[in-house]
Amino acid sequence: MQYMLLVYEPEDLDHGPEGQASLRDVGAKHMALAQAMREAGVMQAGAGLQPIATATTVRTSASGGQTLHDGPFAETREHLGGFYLIEAADLDAALVWARQVPIRPGGSCEVRPALNP
Amino acid sequence: MDIGRAIFDARPRVVAALAVRLRDLDLAEEAFAEASAAAVPAWRAQAPRDPAAWLWRAAWRRALDARRRAVVRQRLAPDAPEPAPTPEDEVIAAHDPIPDERLRLIFVCCHPAIAADTRAALTLKVVCGLSTERLARAFLMGEPAMLQRITRAKRKIRDAGVPFEVPGREMWPERLEAVLATLELAYAQAYEDAALATDGASFAQEVLRLSGLLTELMPREGEVLGLAALVRFAEARRPARLDETGAMLPPGEQDMALWRADLIGQGARLLDTAADLGRTGPRQLLAAIHGLHLSRRETGVTPWADIVSLYDALALFRPDAVTAVNRAVAVGEARGAAAGLAALDAVPDAGRLTNWLPYQAARAGLCERAGLTGDAAAAYHAALALGPAPAERLYLQRRLAALT
Repeated sequence: MQYMLLVYEPEDLDHGPEGQASLRDVGAKHMALAQAMREAGVMQAGAGLQPIATATTVRTSASGGQTLHDGPFAETREHLGGFYLIEAADLDAALVWARQVPIRPGGSCEVRPALNP
Repeated sequence: MDIGRAIFDARPRVVAALAVRLRDLDLAEEAFAEASAAAVPAWRAQAPRDPAAWLWRAAWRRALDARRRAVVRQRLAPDAPEPAPTPEDEVIAAHDPIPDERLRLIFVCCHPAIAADTRAALTLKVVCGLSTERLARAFLMGEPAMLQRITRAKRKIRDAGVPFEVPGREMWPERLEAVLATLELAYAQAYEDAALATDGASFAQEVLRLSGLLTELMPREGEVLGLAALVRFAEARRPARLDETGAMLPPGEQDMALWRADLIGQGARLLDTAADLGRTGPRQLLAAIHGLHLSRRETGVTPWADIVSLYDALALFRPDAVTAVNRAVAVGEARGAAAGLAALDAVPDAGRLTNWLPYQAARAGLCERAGLTGDAAAAYHAALALGPAPAERLYLQRRLAALT
């Protein structure tokens, strides 16, 4: 099965010099994890995302009309910061990888199975 | 033969074998239900040599038929011939005896990816075959809500790829804990359930059975044995928990002649075995506390000082309000009501517990024994206002009436 590991973190973690240092630190850990996933042959795709300030949302209204909005789809404290798409035998195997995702305090990693192709 | 009983007894093993083979809880349950319906007339005509094996073969055949029909439907070719059974199907259909997959099924139903309260209901439903209606009553919710909860959990197990495996050793601390917490919650529900209605007793009977099954499957896990002992000790007192008016009786006032010696013996043996394994835990300590209450049968007195020590040990595992309030009651018995009240006041966040029935009931009892009649009456009123179950309400009313 394919599982998406969605990394959510409060964005204010990146503010200030300390935030930037912790961002570099966690970034290096993500690189190492991605490398381990590739070596294990489970990595399908993955990327870190630019800050939500860069987000643009296409909304579709009830009548089907589309409008563009500056910003993410929902105003929440935690934002999607990146993702991994992995191949795993089952949920337990996916959770073993999810636990290795470097998450800073206050963040979380959501594990979602992909629909079968 | 008692056909209903035979079907009931065969259920965990047959449903587990089906579920693990099919990787589908719904299909396993449906196939078992169909096979059971077919068994009634067939067994009236001729009793089967091995009821479980009969049900396993019949249910397996039905499940495969259902699968084939579904495949055909999916291809949108209603006239297509049904696929022939594969050689593997035939091998499994002829498979006898039934593989024992009960532990795998329990780990599936108790997966931490399922919400804790849903796990308990799901396990009792799938493994023991309790009806949704029965579960809804036990968990104090509407039947549609319970059904929705169980349906959602089954769908998640299927769609999220929860493995039908016993987890590897490295995952046991977390996964076994989830199983034990599930059974403990199920028993707490059974114990509270209308205090003692015969209904509650049969629900508790299922938890008794499930906890016994777990000791059979994991005989070297101290907490598994501790939980089974706990359930047995608590159930041993069930026949004595109400007086003739239907009011609850605390253990110290119960008629010990009504306590079930068979369950007490089983619990004591389980706890001894657990002690030999040398790793204590909260369920073993809780069981030991129950055991001390029961020791009054031999000695004529309840060893309250020992009970306080066990609550102290329990607090290391469970530093919560439940432990602290129960400990305060024990302190009141061991060292006097004033000491008990002091212990109750020392419970962290005691101010936040005023809307919690066990807290008010404990306070009322301690104030009463300390001679603080006004405070006791206020606490009894507060407890009664928090909606106790009928048996406890009668008890609290009686104590309140005796105050004045």
